[in-house]
Amino acid sequence: MIDFKNFQRPQRYIGNEWNVVKKSHSGRVSFCFCYPDLYEIGMSNLGTHIVYGLLNRNPDFVCERSFMPAEDLANYLKTSKIPLFSLETKTALHDFEVLGFHLGCELNFTNVLHMLALGGVEIFSAERKDLIVLGGGIVNPEPLAEFIDVFYLGEFEEVADRFIEIFHKYKDKSARLKALAETEGFYVPAFYQASRQADQYVFEQRYSYARLPQKRVAVKDLNRSFVPEAWLTAHTEIIHDRIPIEIARGCPNACSFCQARAVYTPYRQRQTATVINILQRLYQGSGSENFSFLALSASDHSEIEELIDAGLDYCRKRRIGLSLPSLRASDIVGRLYKKLSSFRKASLTVAIEAARQPLREALNKKIDLGVVFEAAKILQSLGLRQIKIYFMYGFPQETDEDLLAIGEFLDDLYRRSRLKLRVSLNVFIPKPFSLWQAKSILPEDILRRRQDLILRNLPRQRGVSVSFSSIERSLFEALVSRAGREFGKVLYLAYSRGVCFDGSRENFSFGIWKELMEEAGFDYRRCLEEQTANFPWSFIE
Amino acid sequence: MQTIKFPIAVILHKHGEMVYFSQLDLIHILERALRRSDLPLYFTQGFNPHVKISFKNGLKLGQEGFIEVIFYFTENIVFCRLKEILQPQLPEGLEIIDKEVSG
Ligand code: SF4
Repeated sequence: MIDFKNFQRPQRYIGNEWNVVKKSHSGRVSFCFCYPDLYEIGMSNLGTHIVYGLLNRNPDFVCERSFMPAEDLANYLKTSKIPLFSLETKTALHDFEVLGFHLGCELNFTNVLHMLALGGVEIFSAERKDLIVLGGGIVNPEPLAEFIDVFYLGEFEEVADRFIEIFHKYKDKSARLKALAETEGFYVPAFYQASRQADQYVFEQRYSYARLPQKRVAVKDLNRSFVPEAWLTAHTEIIHDRIPIEIARGCPNACSFCQARAVYTPYRQRQTATVINILQRLYQGSGSENFSFLALSASDHSEIEELIDAGLDYCRKRRIGLSLPSLRASDIVGRLYKKLSSFRKASLTVAIEAARQPLREALNKKIDLGVVFEAAKILQSLGLRQIKIYFMYGFPQETDEDLLAIGEFLDDLYRRSRLKLRVSLNVFIPKPFSLWQAKSILPEDILRRRQDLILRNLPRQRGVSVSFSSIERSLFEALVSRAGREFGKVLYLAYSRGVCFDGSRENFSFGIWKELMEEAGFDYRRCLEEQTANFPWSFIE
Repeated sequence: MQTIKFPIAVILHKHGEMVYFSQLDLIHILERALRRSDLPLYFTQGFNPHVKISFKNGLKLGQEGFIEVIFYFTENIVFCRLKEILQPQLPEGLEIIDKEVSG
């Protein structure tokens, strides 16, 4: 037994949360939900709770959890040859029948390989005998095709029952994979042949039962979909110490650069009555003192006013904190501003993305800067101190004027509102399935020049703080999210050299990745600049 | 509405897996346990109200032992009732003990 006292934040490894499920494995299909990041991040993800609840609901299935251990424990496990384990029963990962990885963040792909290795599981899919490694929450699965046996593309609520049924009905790996492959949303990479021919990613079925094209599966009715009421409540602080309640999934807008709207399509809403009912059940089950309403674009919810009223009413009586996702500036000026004063932390986050109207039009971003000024004034009168503002740069068609206008706008807003401005400037990354997926990320030197140009014109006041996303990380993110199967050898090389936790700023080094790509014979510039209509993810509708 | 507060001091035995949880963690664990129960909770005043709890002493991370905790309610709550309602809401490794009995 490991003495967790000797490690930083031992709470991460105990697995005694409120509502934790511990079942004996005998006679049950054993599944371990694996999150390739630290406990406090994984436990803040809504998906973790949904999958855990859905699978444990079945009496003949047991779902446990494992998170990427921090460096101190990972080193200890390696040197003392103890396999990485699940939190609930401290079972080694290699003793499970299925490992289900959450693959929502490309920067954690190397952590997936580390977790497999630490858990005593073969890294390559082709080398594994009985154990099945499932991957979900991913948009373009191809870079991990060699390591994952089966991907699930879509929202798990919709197929959980069928998934469980397959594992009960079939007992050997090949029968299970075949049955999964026949089910909508499941993708078994080994059943397809993928190759590069000129600039085309050619994708073919190897077996007739492998589905092509593949489809993402979406929950049909958010008012009836599964809610993990027995909320797994951590006994220690996690990144987001509040329970999120989705008020909608998807987004009715169509910003050109946006991946989320395409992935979570179609737009679905939860009715006020459903949301309040969920809030009540979750509160009773968890006792959590903080909740948040979650949506990509809360202002588009047709019942947003009722929702805020009913939510606040429930929470105020019980002294629960409730936070809202960002609202459109026009709503703050218009229908919602009176309600905002009741929030503990009323705040405004405006994604302006581009400072000039023509570029905003190209981005399909409908926002009137005049209204932003007005909203800022209102918020100031409500006692608010700061606004968060998001810009994006690095669009192929943007001009120097567009870049200089960012500083002018901020200067103007700061003078007029006297609010603190917290500004984030992100590089445009052409993400798979976004309307602009066929565009390229700009080369490093051009991005640097543009960043300098923006910087030069930024207001120097103390009240304006600006953070730029890292250009190198953005380039890397573009690469990993757009690459095909050939990127697998780069990931493997990176893993074998000990590269991990690229999600954190301190750990990430593009220099190392460049060396690894060169060594693996992977031409990253070509991958980034390639003009094609046939992407590695084009097999998914 | 909740002008009068009724304190009740109890002893909490922290042992087993709970020794890995800090005093700060304990505040959240107890607050959530209280919120799940239907006891008449007393909240702190102000913009960010919390269930009022105070500790007489603390324990180091990793250490088993006893902590004196004071809970506050808006009515008088006797020990047996508190224990009956709150104990099932606590994780294994936290036991409520009567202060009078333990001395
Ligand atoms: S950027 Fe926001 S508003 Fe625009 S489509 Fe995406 S989610 Fe919707």
